Amino acid sequence: MPTQISGNATESPSRSPMTIGLPLPRGDARAKACGREPYAADLFPENLLLAQALRSGLPCGRLLELDLEEARQIPGIVAILTAKDVPGSNRQGIIHKDMPVLVEDRIRYCGDPVALLIAENKEAIRSAMSCIRIHAEPSPGVFDLDEAMAENAPLVHEDKPGNMLAKATIQKGKPDFDACAAVVEGWFETPVQAHGFLETEAGTACLLEDGTLRMEVSTQSPFRDRLEISHALGIPFMQVHIHAPSLGGGFGGKDGATVQCLLGLAALHCPGRSVKMLWEREESFVAGYKRHACRMHYRLGALADGSLHSLHARLWYDTGAYAHLGPEVMELGMEHAAGPYRIPHNLTEGFCVHTHTPTGGAMRAFGVCQVSFAFESMMDMLAEKLKQDPLELRLRNALHRGDTNGAGVLLESSTSLAACLEGIRNHPLWQTRRQWQKEAPPFCIRGTGLAAVFNAAGYGGGVRDAAIAKIEMDVKGHFIVHNAVTDMGQGNSSAFLQIAGHILRQSAEALSLRQPDTRSAYPSGSSSAGRTTYTFGKALISACEELASRLINRAGLILFLQNDEGLVLEPGRVRHEPSGRSVSLEQLASFMSLEERVCLGQFIAPVCREVPDTSRGFFIGFPHVIFGYGAHLARVEVDTLTGRVQVKDYLALTDGGAVLNPSMFDQQVQGGVAQGIGYALYEDFITEKGVVKTKDFTTYLMPGSLDLPDILSLAPPVEEEESGPFGMKGIGEVAMNGPLPAIANALRDAGCRRIHKAPIMAEAVLGSLENR
Amino acid sequence: MNPVLFPRTEEMLLSMVKAYPEARFMAGGTDLLVALRQKQKALPPLIGLERMEGMGDILREGDEISIGAACTLKEVASHPLTRQHLPLLCQGADSVGGPALRNMATLGGNLCTASPAGDTLPALFLLEARPELLSEKGLRTLSMEAFITGPGRTALLPGELLHRIRIPIPPNAPIQHFEKVGNRNAMAIAVASLAALIRMEQGLVTQARLAWGSVGPKVIRSSEAEAALMGKPLREESLKEAAFYAQKAVQPISDIRASADYRKKVSASLLQRLILYRDSDDKGERS
Repeated sequence: MPTQISGNATESPSRSPMTIGLPLPRGDARAKACGREPYAADLFPENLLLAQALRSGLPCGRLLELDLEEARQIPGIVAILTAKDVPGSNRQGIIHKDMPVLVEDRIRYCGDPVALLIAENKEAIRSAMSCIRIHAEPSPGVFDLDEAMAENAPLVHEDKPGNMLAKATIQKGKPDFDACAAVVEGWFETPVQAHGFLETEAGTACLLEDGTLRMEVSTQSPFRDRLEISHALGIPFMQVHIHAPSLGGGFGGKDGATVQCLLGLAALHCPGRSVKMLWEREESFVAGYKRHACRMHYRLGALADGSLHSLHARLWYDTGAYAHLGPEVMELGMEHAAGPYRIPHNLTEGFCVHTHTPTGGAMRAFGVCQVSFAFESMMDMLAEKLKQDPLELRLRNALHRGDTNGAGVLLESSTSLAACLEGIRNHPLWQTRRQWQKEAPPFCIRGTGLAAVFNAAGYGGGVRDAAIAKIEMDVKGHFIVHNAVTDMGQGNSSAFLQIAGHILRQSAEALSLRQPDTRSAYPSGSSSAGRTTYTFGKALISACEELASRLINRAGLILFLQNDEGLVLEPGRVRHEPSGRSVSLEQLASFMSLEERVCLGQFIAPVCREVPDTSRGFFIGFPHVIFGYGAHLARVEVDTLTGRVQVKDYLALTDGGAVLNPSMFDQQVQGGVAQGIGYALYEDFITEKGVVKTKDFTTYLMPGSLDLPDILSLAPPVEEEESGPFGMKGIGEVAMNGPLPAIANALRDAGCRRIHKAPIMAEAVLGSLENR
Repeated sequence: MNPVLFPRTEEMLLSMVKAYPEARFMAGGTDLLVALRQKQKALPPLIGLERMEGMGDILREGDEISIGAACTLKEVASHPLTRQHLPLLCQGADSVGGPALRNMATLGGNLCTASPAGDTLPALFLLEARPELLSEKGLRTLSMEAFITGPGRTALLPGELLHRIRIPIPPNAPIQHFEKVGNRNAMAIAVASLAALIRMEQGLVTQARLAWGSVGPKVIRSSEAEAALMGKPLREESLKEAAFYAQKAVQPISDIRASADYRKKVSASLLQRLILYRDSDDKGERS
């Protein structure tokens, strides 16, 4: 049975209709707080089998043979499958199908799966794992950008010469640094980041008698999963039935196939039995997708008055063993490489490079949080050179509606970066920064740093970015929102309940939500790209408006009224205001067929009408037309004896258009900032010669409650985004981009030499204090 | 399935040890269970110590504080006797992991794991703690130097158990200072730590004991660094001199948490923090 979460049922005694703009509690708050919300990882159907992949452990080589006989004899082992057992193409990948479900021949990273074990219990898997011998011929690999791009380097994929997966440019105008009064230049490096979600990659699958492959899986893209599984395993995609319960975190790491094809393969070999796959934390670190490491070189020039003039940026993204969304990550980074600024001349070059390391994939603010470090560090370097205030320099160059951005796109949508920056200018944390700096305790120095950031929303040019929403009234007169875009914790399903409640004028008790199910909902794209609430929300508005008008019409029939005048929806009923007569929704429902009680609505996100001739080598995803903006301030304290950095205060002003729910808005910003502080100061996924050194939370450190400051989120007065639901636009990603540059700039303000490499570890900070 | 046993008395415990010589002792299990999870092979029998009489209390016996080896770090860090007399140990115990972990992990476990990064070890060295070991032959006590023989190694013989930790109350309430440097504020393994036990009389250092954790195979001491502080006020110059010797004494390695070079630098620079005690009165309190 698909699971349902109720709206705030039993939580709020209030029967007042839900209203857009109010800080209503999340629809899933109670279930999650009580531990009742079902996650894919929690499902243990009866008669369950377990499946686990055996991974190569070798970063580069050729698979010769697997010694499986001994393992197959172990009691409890049901099957051990290899590439020969994969019925379809044995290839997966969102756009670029280059990743085998099970390796046939070439091993490209240490997590490449070579066999799939299916067993009655964990002990059998454990024993079998220890007695399988992998015969493989190791070969020299390329483990970082330099090795991968060296002459005659071994190739990760034979069809990718120079290990170059993608190469592209954006050119707007013609950079001329001789025309600039001040030019700054620098190299920057950002690390591989892991998503670190609580619920690792997980799912259960069962091949039913009618041939349906049914799967409940922790996924950000249930509808696309059908295509992935169908392509990889050679079964018709309509036979694949996916249900995506709430996710215990996703952040992009569950966009694209993780367990899906392996699970499907296992289920195909054990008809009628449920098979479960749940990655251990160590497996998730090795085999899960990661944020791309990036190396950047920037040259930025401005006129004497501080107006930006020319930029030359070069970006190298390490995409690891397989393509996943590597080129798209790089392209989005390139589109943002010039920052949220007016700059007439920009040449940005991007390179997406394969290495024999775990695969780079989608992660919150993909491509963009890398370049944010570079362009916002450059802005402070420029301010220092020009002896200008870093805030005023940003305000002078900030994008407004009607400007063309660094990628040459005319901004016709809401653009309120200046309001965010002005919010910082007027805030006490900014105004009192010098006094605060002077009050540093012994062995401490203090500094304040800024970052202005942006992040595109939606898939971008060339990809249809659409959603189909479904609302249903049941026979009792209650409403069910059929969500089709996964809720990974960001709260979109709560927003959908609020939207439906607002339009249908119903209280939380009257609404429930069904999480994505490919048999009862409709393709609406992935939960990603800051598009989730925006696109599906817009579709849901039209579905709800249609249902509202049907209810009014039906009530009018029952009440013998000649038209809709004076008829209004109220909690539980439709009332005729002039006469005071009303019909309950339950009564109405009893007159209506199922067909009439269900409404669909669809929405297609706007695309750029005049695509500028600035990009070369882009496949899809360029350009974007809607951006969220933010201005961040970080106050940091450095211990001069150890170099340890503590963020003392953090302020984030975010332009997300109109705010549907202020508390969920703040939660998104605070979560993004926390993850961004992790990216800035703590998180570093390390491989050595292709072998993962950070396989658990003891070695891969994420910030804890004692490491994070109170994060103040403010929504300044901004323009509404006319194209979005009730004027909103997505803000799930933009907050991720601020912390690293804001903290780096704060460290410089405190008196450290500029730091160009993240994460910023105590050792580097201590070094930056020497011989100051 | 191997048994998990819970003795209540020494007699029961010794008979279980006899019956299962390959058994492992488990107190809080926060190190042991993690280590066992990594192994692919069958688990050994476990003898849990949480119900043992005489291993879970903190007592004063004459001029000693006696701590049962199965006391949790939370109990050690918050007990009135340790708080009054052994603040150095409390600070060390309180810096291990996070609250949930300190409610499980024990002082005995921290000793027996004998990690170079064990957060209570520098304090126990400076406080001249004496581990008391129990076996069928009876009790014996050792010095910390004798008990910890190397990284992850102790003087425990097969079938022998760490029973209690006996710590003499330091006379005249000296300054007791502990600082741990980790890569985050909690749930972090020490990159380096410094414990200091310093007595001042009339503004001059009359006793100085220093110990560093996580910068060598065992806790590091430096008699030269200690001597550099003696008979002088706590000032930058003498602390710098001590730092010079500290750099020579430590033997750090580079690992995923930090480089040897950083550990060396920090071992020395952490001494500077002691200047905050320069005006301490004879009771060891900062004024």
